[in-house]
Amino acid sequence: MDFITILQQLSSGMIKTVGIFFWTLALSLPFGLVIAFGRMSKNKLVSSIFKFYISVMRGTPLMLQLLVVYFGPYYLFGIKLSQGYRFIAIIIGFVLNYAAYYAEIYRSGIESMPVGQYEAATQLGYSKSQTFFKIILPQVIKRILPAITNEVITLVKDTSLAFSLAYMEMFTIAKQIAAAQTTMIPFVVAAVFYYIFNLIVAFTMERIEKKMSYYR
Amino acid sequence: MKKTLAMLLCGAMTMALLVGCGNGSADATQTATEETEATETTEVESETETTEETEAANPEADRTTFVVGFDAEYPPYGYMDDNGEYTGFDLELAQAVCDMEGWELTKTPIDWDSKDMELNSGSIDCIWNGFTINGREDDYTWSDPYCDNSQVIVVAEDSGISTLADLAGKNVGVQTASAALSVLSDEEQQKALADTFGSLQQFSDYNSAFSELLAGSLDAIAIDIGVANYQISSRGEGYVILSETLNSEQYGVGFKLGNESLRDIVNADLKKLAEDGTVAELAEKYGISDLICLK
Amino acid sequence: MNILEINHMRKSFDGLEVLKDISLSVKEGEVVSIIGPSGSGKSTILRCATMLEKMDGGDLIYMGEGAAFDHNGKSVYASKKDLQRIRHYYGLVFQNFNLFPHYSVYKNIVDAPISVYKVSKKEADERAEKLLSQLGLSDKRDAYPYQLSGGQQQRVSIARALALQPKILFFDEPTSALDPMLTAEVLKVIKDLAKQKMTMIIVTHEMEFARELSDRIIFMEDGVIQEQGTPEEVFASQNPRVREFIGKFKS
Repeated sequence: MDFITILQQLSSGMIKTVGIFFWTLALSLPFGLVIAFGRMSKNKLVSSIFKFYISVMRGTPLMLQLLVVYFGPYYLFGIKLSQGYRFIAIIIGFVLNYAAYYAEIYRSGIESMPVGQYEAATQLGYSKSQTFFKIILPQVIKRILPAITNEVITLVKDTSLAFSLAYMEMFTIAKQIAAAQTTMIPFVVAAVFYYIFNLIVAFTMERIEKKMSYYR
Repeated sequence: MKKTLAMLLCGAMTMALLVGCGNGSADATQTATEETEATETTEVESETETTEETEAANPEADRTTFVVGFDAEYPPYGYMDDNGEYTGFDLELAQAVCDMEGWELTKTPIDWDSKDMELNSGSIDCIWNGFTINGREDDYTWSDPYCDNSQVIVVAEDSGISTLADLAGKNVGVQTASAALSVLSDEEQQKALADTFGSLQQFSDYNSAFSELLAGSLDAIAIDIGVANYQISSRGEGYVILSETLNSEQYGVGFKLGNESLRDIVNADLKKLAEDGTVAELAEKYGISDLICLK
Repeated sequence: MNILEINHMRKSFDGLEVLKDISLSVKEGEVVSIIGPSGSGKSTILRCATMLEKMDGGDLIYMGEGAAFDHNGKSVYASKKDLQRIRHYYGLVFQNFNLFPHYSVYKNIVDAPISVYKVSKKEADERAEKLLSQLGLSDKRDAYPYQLSGGQQQRVSIARALALQPKILFFDEPTSALDPMLTAEVLKVIKDLAKQKMTMIIVTHEMEFARELSDRIIFMEDGVIQEQGTPEEVFASQNPRVREFIGKFKS
């Protein structure tokens, strides 16, 4: 089998990999903010629940979490699984895990904001939500962008963990082609693909950082 | 308190969004929408199946799809062909059964380590993929065996290993959760032999095992004969299969324990396919004619 | 009418009483300076008066409207809605400016009027342009805070407070983060405001400035008002604590 054919076969997997990436990013970034709020709640019970959640998500392997999300409904509740659930389970697993990481990044950013910004905003009459979304969050985003970039790059590579649920993303397909053709070339192609994907991610994040560098 | 509630609601909404969105795109991905729906309806029926079994004559009457779980890294039984389609002896045989029954075949590649979870949770109807019966008799509801198999040892041509006894002190590789592994760990089979090995190394796919063999970090691989033939023929010269085999065993189709009604249909169809020559034809195509035991 | 009236204000932090029974009132157009050694509680008065801190006991009244009333020795605050309205009566200029770094000078000034108090864009723009020229910042309209000197930043923060047209303006040591050159330009702005009869309470270490500008000076120590009166009265005070404090600054 020639190189072009391998590339063609891998391309369907690439689309799925990109799909996992964007769905995870689009959902875990806002969900992470919700968790960060929970973690910073003044209510002791709420904050310790979220603290526990974060420690479990960060303290256990993502691959294990994916298996739990996918097979859990059957083993815990006896719900039969349908074909369509495979992808949903992957997205849920990734989002739950990544949101925990993002939550901690948000928290560090929010807690690093000088109290004077809150006081000035209160003084000028901004409501709590206005203060957060107009004054605090934009500055927090600028501060945490480098940390977010790190996680996003890790996410690109972590998408390959979807193979554990036999989802036909790129890495799974690369393994299958490698098995059928008894060759290592698919893995080389896969490596190049992840690398280029991450170059694009790094470039995009750099652009965003530049865009936000109009102030200090 | 209000804030807490608002936050919980917010969280619930995110989850709802998540599930909602996930649904939409899942349909657009691998399985076509109708297929997914069809599978779902089948499953609802198969849920009622166990309760109706005593009264209903044929609980499978309404089945429209047949979901086969297989390891897509297991040529020639199940793998991805040059066109990116899943194929192999077992999958074509499953297709032939579906053609007879008017079912739609859904080929679902699974992670071999999760095969029991996939089967028990109902995401697949059976495991049909060079699946060894011996040693697992009580774990699944089995079809009649359709293929003989033996576990063999593959070594590099110039390794100087020619008998099982030569393996003493050597590094031997075996696939995780494979039949070869269970043979080598069973007291009544080849455990004694395995104990003479320098080490028994488990790996997840044959590609890396053969690479290790080539690289010299493995001295031998314990493997199904059909798979060994495929690997050697596609990799070319340099490997030999020892004439002494570890055991002989048989392949069957594994159904969830207790699912006799589905098993019986597949069994009957396999018999017909053997009689009309389809099985022999497929075996010829995949180079495993010697191994077929369904006559 | 009194713009601000504080009766028996008390405040403790972790059991330490920082303000002990403070009462003071400010009339329209009056400029009041609060002086005293650090830790005397003068900044805390400002923080309680501007509701950045909740006082433990006492009344807080703006324009005759109660933000908090003492009830059996405990301050009971008005409803959120009332407090939001009362907040509009005063402005606060911080020691560290606390400008919003991601907003331009112009946006720092117009954003609160527009998005909080629903002032029309045209009206907010007119106010901003007028304040910018009045404070000598017209050429900095589109600059960001990090591009400005400390004195310029403090002037922007004064403009930001004035854009909401407060009845009274509080200054919390407005020049202590600035070097002498920049201090002068900020003090000049405050003097100009005094000429325009802006009601102001200024916590400051600038004795000469306080003496020149104030209608009244309050000397605080250990959480109580030790002495208050016209600059002449306070600077001529026989109270040894006051004499000692002022003496330090004269030398």
